[in-house]
Amino acid sequence: MRFPILLLGSAVLLSACTSNETARTSAGPDGGTLVIDVPGDAGTLFPPLVSEEVGRMITDQLFDRLAEIDSSLDVIGDKGFAPRLAKSWTWAPDSMSIAFSIDPKARWHDGKPVTAADVRYTFHAFTDPKLSSPSMTLLSNIDSVSTRDSLTAVFWFKKHTPTEFYDVAYQLVIIPEHVYGAVPFDKLATSDIVRHPVGTGRFRFVRWDAGSRIELISDTANYRGRAKVDRVIYTPASPATEMTQVLTGDADFMEAFPSDQVAKLDSSSVARPIVMPLLAYTYMAMNMRDPAAKGRPHPIFSDVRVRRALSMAVDRVGMLHNVFGNNGSLGHGPFAATLAFADTTLPVPPYDTAAAAALLDSAGWRRPAAGLVRQKNGRPLRFTLLVPSSSLPRRRYAVLIQEQLRRIGAQVDIDELDPQTLNPRMVNGNFDAVLNLFGTDPAVGGTEQAWATSGIGPMGQNHTHYSNPVVDALLDSASGSFDPAKSNAYARRAFATIIADAPAIWLYDWTNVNAINRRITTATMRADEWWANLADWSIPADKRIARDRIGLAAAAP
Amino acid sequence: MRRQLAARLVQSLVVVFIVTTISFIVIRLAPGDPFSYESSRITPEVRAHWRAQFGYDRPIPEQFVRYVVSAAHGQFGYSFSMHEPVSTALAQSVPRTLLLTGVSLGLSFLLGLVIGVTQAARRGSWFDRASGAVLLLFYSLPDFWLALMALLGFAYWWPVLPAGGIVDPVLHEYMSGGAAAVDRLRHLILPALTLTLLTAAAVARYQRTAMLEILPSDYIRTARAKGVPERQVIWRHALRTALTPLITLLGLTLPVLLGGALFVEKVFSWPGMGMIAADAIGSRDYDLVTATVIVGSLLVVAGNLLADLLQMAVDPRVRE
Repeated sequence: MRFPILLLGSAVLLSACTSNETARTSAGPDGGTLVIDVPGDAGTLFPPLVSEEVGRMITDQLFDRLAEIDSSLDVIGDKGFAPRLAKSWTWAPDSMSIAFSIDPKARWHDGKPVTAADVRYTFHAFTDPKLSSPSMTLLSNIDSVSTRDSLTAVFWFKKHTPTEFYDVAYQLVIIPEHVYGAVPFDKLATSDIVRHPVGTGRFRFVRWDAGSRIELISDTANYRGRAKVDRVIYTPASPATEMTQVLTGDADFMEAFPSDQVAKLDSSSVARPIVMPLLAYTYMAMNMRDPAAKGRPHPIFSDVRVRRALSMAVDRVGMLHNVFGNNGSLGHGPFAATLAFADTTLPVPPYDTAAAAALLDSAGWRRPAAGLVRQKNGRPLRFTLLVPSSSLPRRRYAVLIQEQLRRIGAQVDIDELDPQTLNPRMVNGNFDAVLNLFGTDPAVGGTEQAWATSGIGPMGQNHTHYSNPVVDALLDSASGSFDPAKSNAYARRAFATIIADAPAIWLYDWTNVNAINRRITTATMRADEWWANLADWSIPADKRIARDRIGLAAAAP
Repeated sequence: MRRQLAARLVQSLVVVFIVTTISFIVIRLAPGDPFSYESSRITPEVRAHWRAQFGYDRPIPEQFVRYVVSAAHGQFGYSFSMHEPVSTALAQSVPRTLLLTGVSLGLSFLLGLVIGVTQAARRGSWFDRASGAVLLLFYSLPDFWLALMALLGFAYWWPVLPAGGIVDPVLHEYMSGGAAAVDRLRHLILPALTLTLLTAAAVARYQRTAMLEILPSDYIRTARAKGVPERQVIWRHALRTALTPLITLLGLTLPVLLGGALFVEKVFSWPGMGMIAADAIGSRDYDLVTATVIVGSLLVVAGNLLADLLQMAVDPRVRE
């Protein structure tokens, strides 16, 4: 009697787990299915509120911008942009406004035409304080949006800047007013409607099983043509599961394959590596202010000689090989090498432990006896290094830095913290040093946020409190210049000055080794978003497997 | 009996309330909050606006009163990590965890019982010693390590089972009823096996001890003297009496299984309550953490209550 009851219970639970997974027939034209493993579920699929990568990689398939940046990531003027939802645009003679002409063929996934009113609504959604979009401050130079006719939206700017086109085209993802407009802005974040996105992208939304999967299918009636594969499925998985699935072919793509396991990809007949330099760099930031009394300079790091000495005491190349093998990319300064204005030839303090020791001696930090920690006025050369526990490479770097600095008489106490704990400490300046990864914008503004004096405080990202008027002036000139060559020259001079001041030890550029199934043919991958051209990825007919042959017809929502 | 039951129910509710209160306060005292995640784009003003919007800027006692009032009305708040009401998130994840822990509980008791009885019946034999050593090994292993080894062994080195998830993310929907059930079963095997092996050891050791206490009893000697076959003596007469302690163990195993499910679900990407709880703790998803603790403690006290009731039903001494 008990066994049948157990069976019955299991059947009920099985059916409960299956309740919203209705069976469908498999039919329709072939094109293929991409299974993309992601480290977690999407935060939201409502573009104004997207602040994390998984949400962005999915909404970028569902929605369009007015124009799309190309792989050069040139943000000055409009040369680096191609038409997208706007088929063309016209600059006002004084460049204080730009009129975008919406492609008349563009339709929302529910069949309704895209209008200029949608563009105006989008601007309001992104900038309304009640919704509090993370992108709100990035749009601060846009004064307003008006509609000249049903297909023309005009953006008005507060001042003429080299990146005003980029501000509109890169930051704003156009959303439909007729779908979201009925819900007040302060209710949208928790509204059920944002879980069923309606966009104009070459993929359209099918379903979102929270914590389990998100499914998109090719929009066959799309104004830019259908996506080449039929379907994309995003599945959240633990790192161990992600790695196993991509190596066994259960998943097709995994971003950031563990750096110490890349050899498995090289020898795999199922998956192959794709090395992707990104718009991010990692460094050991040194706080210029005393965390115990923020008005005072830091007792160790306020002295540029100490900062330079610590920079010279670590073997950056050796650490890079130790952590990443042959797949690392050395940091060159306060920029990612993929940026249009990067300069990887700038001289960084060289690895020279003897010179580092001499510099510390000259700064008054001396060893009481061989092997002991250096001291100055009775204070030991000892500091705490914060490390996010979620990052294996940075945890490894922390140990290597600790050991190398120990050799020159500096004691480093490593404090591993989860990101939710580390971030408030960093923002509030409660740290000595931190291994930070900074994901920057393609524009100079990203550098200003992290290293200009204006970036100090709650609105910026300059957590080290580094401040140099020369750097401020150079970055200001770079971001205000309409001539790309001049802008780049100013930026590079600013970088050289920052490097000389050594507010950080430049460790590595963030280069992902992504794993992808060998049957898939990719399109151009942009450094800021590898998924930008996902709709052009394809699976040759002779390489298709069972899940590629499901077809489209069965997957109608 | 009714008074005892009522008293146990009240005790259980008090336990749930205390556990909820502690978890509510502790998660809020942890550094960070749901909106303190790392993002260079979000200004402190935006974060402050979000905190105010959901009342996280209020004093903790005020937040607690609000939470208790809304929970009493069946509203457990909003999950920021899953972007849906907590009740919706739990409605999807709890059945998945119940399936995993239910299957594991059933299998571990079945396996542990068979092994424990056999060990007792063959006390001192090679089987007793070998199985005892193997079970002790599994009992000593950390759950996440065993899960990783199972993943490595059966999903990577010898890829006969899927590495994670509850079903094939693509093909499951297009399978026939039988194939879909097999697909679900294949995804269940590794996480369920991991939890089963971890708990079966305890059950077997418990069962062996209970049997060894029963086997020298007079009524067992009498049964043997009357010529009852040894198999019947063991599996019918001795086992029936030796099962009573297992009921107590049932109540104790449930919290162990739920705790183990947290790690096992995470390793196998099984989107149950354990996995969302682990993610919710990392992202300081206050309402989701508190709700999973409530559901978890409810399950545990319900399990214990059920065990007590069963004890009362089968053992008159407990009733008295």
